[in-house]
Amino acid sequence: MLKSKLVGLGAALTLGVLTTAAFAQDKPVAGEVKEGSLKGKTLTFVSYGGIYQDGQAAALKEFVDKSGVKLLNDGPTEIAKLQAQVESGNVTWDVVDTGDLPPYVHCGKLFQKLDLSKLDVSKIPEGQVGECSVPAMNYGVVLMYNKEKYKDNPPQSWADFFDTEKFPGVRALDGSGDPTGGLLEQAFKVAGGDPKAMTAADIDKAIDVIRKLGPDTIYWKTGAESQQLAESGEADMLMMWTGRAMTAVKNGAKYAPAWQDWLVVMDQMTIPVGVKDTDAAYALLNAYLGKQSQEILAQQTSYTPINNDAQPKVDQSVAAFLTNTPERQTQGYKQNIKFWVENFPLAQEKWSALMAGN
Amino acid sequence: MSALEPTTLSAERRAGWAWRPFALTLPALVLLAAVIGYPLITIVLRSLSEPEWGVQNYAWFFGAPVNLAVLQRTFAISAWVTLVCVVCAYPYAYLMTAVGPRVRLVLVLCVLIPFWVSGVVRTLSWVILLQDSGVINSLLRSADFAGIRLIRTQTGVVIGMAQVLLPFMILPLYSVMKGIDIRLVQAARSLGARPSRAFFTVYLPLSLPGVYAGAVIVFILALGFYITPALLGGPRSTMLSTLVQTQVLSLLQWGRGGAMGVVLLVTTFLLLALAAPVMRSRHREAGRR
Repeated sequence: MLKSKLVGLGAALTLGVLTTAAFAQDKPVAGEVKEGSLKGKTLTFVSYGGIYQDGQAAALKEFVDKSGVKLLNDGPTEIAKLQAQVESGNVTWDVVDTGDLPPYVHCGKLFQKLDLSKLDVSKIPEGQVGECSVPAMNYGVVLMYNKEKYKDNPPQSWADFFDTEKFPGVRALDGSGDPTGGLLEQAFKVAGGDPKAMTAADIDKAIDVIRKLGPDTIYWKTGAESQQLAESGEADMLMMWTGRAMTAVKNGAKYAPAWQDWLVVMDQMTIPVGVKDTDAAYALLNAYLGKQSQEILAQQTSYTPINNDAQPKVDQSVAAFLTNTPERQTQGYKQNIKFWVENFPLAQEKWSALMAGN
Repeated sequence: MSALEPTTLSAERRAGWAWRPFALTLPALVLLAAVIGYPLITIVLRSLSEPEWGVQNYAWFFGAPVNLAVLQRTFAISAWVTLVCVVCAYPYAYLMTAVGPRVRLVLVLCVLIPFWVSGVVRTLSWVILLQDSGVINSLLRSADFAGIRLIRTQTGVVIGMAQVLLPFMILPLYSVMKGIDIRLVQAARSLGARPSRAFFTVYLPLSLPGVYAGAVIVFILALGFYITPALLGGPRSTMLSTLVQTQVLSLLQWGRGGAMGVVLLVTTFLLLALAAPVMRSRHREAGRR
């Protein structure tokens, strides 16, 4: 009796030591994956399709080849669909790329709180790791203006963007969905407010500044549309995603960026609540954060990588719109995420009223 | 062969008629119940139960002026689209009945080929045509006319939607018109009616069932349009589907989105119920003539 108990204790101790050792060995390094570790398993990665998701798939190719996992791509990301999966207890999306606010708005409810011991986040730019998310890539919302229209007196800031007297011309804004917190903060500044002290009641003031741009203002619905507006010259000043701005310039649009206070935005990587194999999802995330993966991603999509060591080989036109250079980093404007997460429904309600012509 | 046989047969037939048509429609009924009935009931229930039981979502809908404005606009745009479709489709469908088989084939293809092209592609083509620097405005300007604002206006949205929906008007119209005996018009003419009189008192009433059928289909399809108004319109031509999308996909307010859908559906039923007696009486009139 006693002997067997002792043996049991010994076995337990040995096991304990072994697991500790295994843990020590398993301290994750971004981009590394164990050979054959996910053989026979399937992961579903969800993102927004197009060149972007193709680039992400290319960035994950090494992970797939090495781990032996079967990677399925699905999309586009829709939080409502994810909610339906989580509520019905049948989550088929293992890793989900989202816009910048949802992981904060639904943290712990739709998205898992991340266990950072399972990820190597040491190379991620400062301040970008959320409780429920790591960044998927960085980009910017930038003010683009028609060089031929404004010639020697170009707009230099969002204040100029909102000043239709000094800078006449058609404006185009992102009307693709959710309000852009950073833009509303800039508009509030134009209304004489201090974005850092913004309250819920100030959202109206910010939206009024945008409303005053007048009925000729264009609200583009897709990134492709914004690019088309620049290439055809339909709009004189545009609020544009850097990727689209880069492509428009590459295609010959005579537009230039005003970098001061460009709005820092990012996509997020998340693991939904209730996925079947959390560890496999972590393995994917950790591989995605690696230097090489991020270089491939940047090269294929022209988005800014989120690994500080990454040095993608890109041509000049792409490099001109990467947002991680020291100069861009000092010019960038970061929205008050906490404020917009707390006031998301209110801001969305006011914004969609503006989008519906009221 | 006894004389009784035919009676037995018809009795059998009569007995069979009671269930056979029903049995044949069973697959369709099951499908409809599964893909229309069940989701519809779910939507109604969620609109009344989220976040808690009650009519809060409906109170919200009717309490916000923007919702009512957009609802009204949705019906107005759909009515305009229907009108444009009737005006364009009527002569076209008539032409299809009047020409020989070869030309008719060409006309049918002209209707059907755009029908097979995705709505998004067609809408984007309209963007190229309608935009300020687009084909139409370039032509106008090269002819020394002032350019006109077409894109991001309700006019642009109506043009784009009418083109997408035109086949749904032409095809029912054509199927009714090809059944009209053109000799009736000739008879009217031979009895001294002017061409316009012959058309308005003989041909038009006979073709009205096609107009009604097409108009109802186009109107109802137009109410749910999303992509075309989003790409061709601006904020002032946003339709209800866009607001539903914001509520459900962005705010996860399934209850509010459901309530909007239910309001749209019920309003549509009410309008059709109001229009039904008019249509029916016209039918009878047409039949009498």
